Amino acid sequence: MRDILNFFIEVGKLKNKGRRGWELHNIRNPETTAEHIFRMAIVAWTLGKMKKLNTERVIKMALIHDLCEVYAPDLTPYDPLLPKTKDKKKIMEALKRWPKFTPDLKIKKHTEKHRMESLALDKLIAKLSPSFRAEIKNLWMDFEKGLSKEGRFVKQVDKMENLLQGLEYWKKHGKIQHKLWIRWIKEIIDDPLLIDFIKAVEVKFLHK
Amino acid sequence: MQKKFYLTKEGLEKIRKDREDLKNLKLAKTKGEVPKIWHSEDLNPEYLAFQEDLEFLESRLNDLEYITKNAELIKPPSKGAQNNIGLGATVLVQVDGQTDEFTLVGTLEANPSLGRISNESPVGQQLLGHKVGDEVVVSSPIKTVYKIKKIKYKII
Repeated sequence: MRDILNFFIEVGKLKNKGRRGWELHNIRNPETTAEHIFRMAIVAWTLGKMKKLNTERVIKMALIHDLCEVYAPDLTPYDPLLPKTKDKKKIMEALKRWPKFTPDLKIKKHTEKHRMESLALDKLIAKLSPSFRAEIKNLWMDFEKGLSKEGRFVKQVDKMENLLQGLEYWKKHGKIQHKLWIRWIKEIIDDPLLIDFIKAVEVKFLHK
Repeated sequence: MQKKFYLTKEGLEKIRKDREDLKNLKLAKTKGEVPKIWHSEDLNPEYLAFQEDLEFLESRLNDLEYITKNAELIKPPSKGAQNNIGLGATVLVQVDGQTDEFTLVGTLEANPSLGRISNESPVGQQLLGHKVGDEVVVSSPIKTVYKIKKIKYKII
């Protein structure tokens, strides 16, 4: 039981881990990783049910997808472009353009992020029972690599929740380059139900 | 209507290999021969899960069977058609003053963080069929213009 209790305590740290993307955007009291996970699980459950996906798998995957962030850094696509200093003006300037990289750099960034997160997750779950450890690691790999219908769907729901939060902050504080976010989401979402959902989001946030 | 899964040659081979691996695993599992491999450093997530969850193994096998049955290989277009964006095309675009390059693939191989965009995404759908010099508008309340600078076919 001691190892399980320690696991819960470590996971609980995500309740206080502010999402770095929003911190970079100077959002006060930004959403935490745990808060992102919470709404993402609700979205994945609700929409996954409409698609008749395996609900248990979808919800579990949403719950564990960012557990690695207990130990891994919360990387953002902007990182390679940010100034070395904490100069807020320069950071805001960097955020005005969507980060674009060469194909080689895309692969390098992706591989390194995956490696760090995998090690972090291994460390977090190291003292759980082998079968539970295997279940968590498998769900995470499915999420990362899209091995199943559920994995491919939840990966896109993650981005969708991010968009929704970004637009909510844009409405409340400005500061977010909402046009870039809309452009980005249309490159990465291909699930028909989620494409419909984007339309509803656009009507809600962008129509006058 | 049955869904078609567009795959590169490499993608289709991987799906077939996964299917064979899982069939073998299922066979071994029913005979009680599955090795205890989760202590290994080289964790194979599928094996790990399927040791625990026969139902998921069956479901994944069914998925792979369905995909293989409905797979369509992405073939290079004829020389004349290589001026147009089709599946497998690597496209250099200019958008909002920025240059970007990505390859259009089927949904199963899409991974935007690796520069592989799905032909079923709103941007992928709009780009298909266009040629160099075209300005493709992806719109809704917000209009985005993709100016096509270059098209090449290299992954197939």
